[in-house]
Amino acid sequence: MKEDRIILENVSRFYGEVLGVNRVTLSIPPGITSLVGPNGSGKTTLMNLITGLIRPSRGRISVLGVDPSQPQRLFRFVGYSTQFDAFPKGLTGSQFIYSFLRVSGRPAPECRKLTTRAIEQVGLVEAADRKVAAYSKGMRQRIRLAQAIAHDPGVLILDEPLNGLDPLVRSETIALFKRYAAEGRHVVVSSHVLHEVDMISDQVVLMSGGYVVAEGRIRGVRSEIQDQRPMQFLIQCKQPSLLASRAFEQDHVVEARLLPEGAGVLVKTRDADAFCRALNHLALAGLDIEGVVPADDNVYSVYEYLIGGEETTQ
Amino acid sequence: MIRLWCIQVLAIIRLEMKKTFFARRGLWVYLLAFAPLALFVTHSIAAGHHRDQLERIARDHPISSEAFSDIQAGMTRDEVTQKLGRPYSQWNRHTRNEHNEPREWSHWRYTDGKIELHLFFEDDKLTGIRRSELDTLPEVARIFAGVFQSYYLRLAVFFGCVGVFVNLFRGERLDKSLHFYLLTPTRREVLLAGKYLAGLLATVVIFTSSTALQWLALLWQFDHTAVADFLTSPTRSGAAGTGWGQFSSYLAVTALACVGYGSVFLAVGLLFRNPIIPVAVVLLWEGVNPFLPAALKKISMIYYLQSLCPVAAAPGQDVPGLVHLLISPVQPATKAVAVLSIVILTCVVLVVGARLSRRMEINYSTE
Repeated sequence: MKEDRIILENVSRFYGEVLGVNRVTLSIPPGITSLVGPNGSGKTTLMNLITGLIRPSRGRISVLGVDPSQPQRLFRFVGYSTQFDAFPKGLTGSQFIYSFLRVSGRPAPECRKLTTRAIEQVGLVEAADRKVAAYSKGMRQRIRLAQAIAHDPGVLILDEPLNGLDPLVRSETIALFKRYAAEGRHVVVSSHVLHEVDMISDQVVLMSGGYVVAEGRIRGVRSEIQDQRPMQFLIQCKQPSLLASRAFEQDHVVEARLLPEGAGVLVKTRDADAFCRALNHLALAGLDIEGVVPADDNVYSVYEYLIGGEETTQ
Repeated sequence: MIRLWCIQVLAIIRLEMKKTFFARRGLWVYLLAFAPLALFVTHSIAAGHHRDQLERIARDHPISSEAFSDIQAGMTRDEVTQKLGRPYSQWNRHTRNEHNEPREWSHWRYTDGKIELHLFFEDDKLTGIRRSELDTLPEVARIFAGVFQSYYLRLAVFFGCVGVFVNLFRGERLDKSLHFYLLTPTRREVLLAGKYLAGLLATVVIFTSSTALQWLALLWQFDHTAVADFLTSPTRSGAAGTGWGQFSSYLAVTALACVGYGSVFLAVGLLFRNPIIPVAVVLLWEGVNPFLPAALKKISMIYYLQSLCPVAAAPGQDVPGLVHLLISPVQPATKAVAVLSIVILTCVVLVVGARLSRRMEINYSTE
């Protein structure tokens, strides 16, 4: 049966005595998977390992059943947009895409067609015939993305793909990722922009110091650590003081704080299910609750819980 | 599969062409390649001008070359003038000896249009005779052989190949753009072959065209009939075959040098982060080749390349005697052995390079 996952089994990579990643075991399904972590956490190393740009010191990697040491097979269905902001000299945007499509051995007419389509997809039609050296940072980011998607890959690996993009292009790019994911492809994204990761990801891989500290769907990751750290809810209601006092009567509630300017009540609980049940009772008893939002059910909070004292980058 | 590889190799060559031919960092390769051309063009212009000048003088002051042989040391100025007439150029210098007596030194020049006779007088007595002949075609062929083997092969082609081939991988590592190749569905061996052929195309075009132009520049000073005769007649060209034969041999040797050195420096660029030391080692090994024992001589590229050169460039008279003693004579390899040795060495180096390229990684931060 054809494998449909990117699998890393106990993968380690050392640069001399410096740790790149250590004992990483992952099974990445189709959809958007985000690698999240501070600088030096091993995100780029992991992507370079998956694409065979570097080899693991230990462990095994398989991308949909293909070993990354076989580029002639791997890059038929894998596209990788790296963070390296350099290009072959003297090429225009379209020459850049076309030339490397030709290197893959495709016929010239097909390469021309794919080049045009990729450039359209990243919105660089007007700049296509300009030298890449004259592009802005955002345009260079987009032309790299165009090169990664030009051959219509089933697996798209993107290292900080939203860096340097303006808001409009950013949303178009995210839409592109979502479309790819909806088509059943793998989109692996690394990012520091946690709220965007939160918005686009089907699942996250949290990395710190070369280790994977958590992986899975964001809510799943949150549940796993719920016992260790309280969960926060933001509740908006017309009687916040009453809500705060009633909430604090519950054993599992460790903090109920009134937020300024009527923004609501922030409740920290060790048992989210029990708190939700209690909240239902309060509502039935006549407390006018306008909204309940899990205040920390996002990547950033999860990441903050897990990495704790380490500095996170936003 | 082979068709796919060929398409990929051609695509890589196309991508590399701009970089190998027009890279700003490769300008010095052109300087190395075309420096001897500038030298030969200058020489040809000067020699042609001198030849015209002597022919004009010979027309104005006709002298038979037989008369030159009658001139002997000890003759007086009048005796010389009786035999050859007045010189076309005369230079005098007056000094005094230790007894404060006046002395006159003279330098007289005669020509028959081909030979220039220099006569040196002390007072009234002929004390020195020097004959300088204009360049002949076999003579310029020897000059070319000397420059070709001592400078062109050993330095220009050598360093030109360093500049082009080392940069095929290393240059892109420094530019941080090598990964784009590694992200295509291309076998690393195919990538290596494509880059090697791109480098080879560039160096062969640059260096063989320079060789051809140097050859033309040297022949340019002679009249067309003499050149045609030299190119087609073995007797006029000396023992080295016809001029065309020599010309095509030099082109082939240049191309083979690019083939051999190219493979070595491609591997150096692939293997070493700092190529200076391995290049210096190869340069030293090729440089000391004349002084090596016969067996060691044969483990070098220059030995086989020189074996293929049509005219042997023997060390000149101005080479010090001690150096002469240190040079170990060795029979040149036969043409077949020389070509085969270079081709085998190239294949071995490329196969090793291809194996190494499979393990190539992108780690720009450590470059």
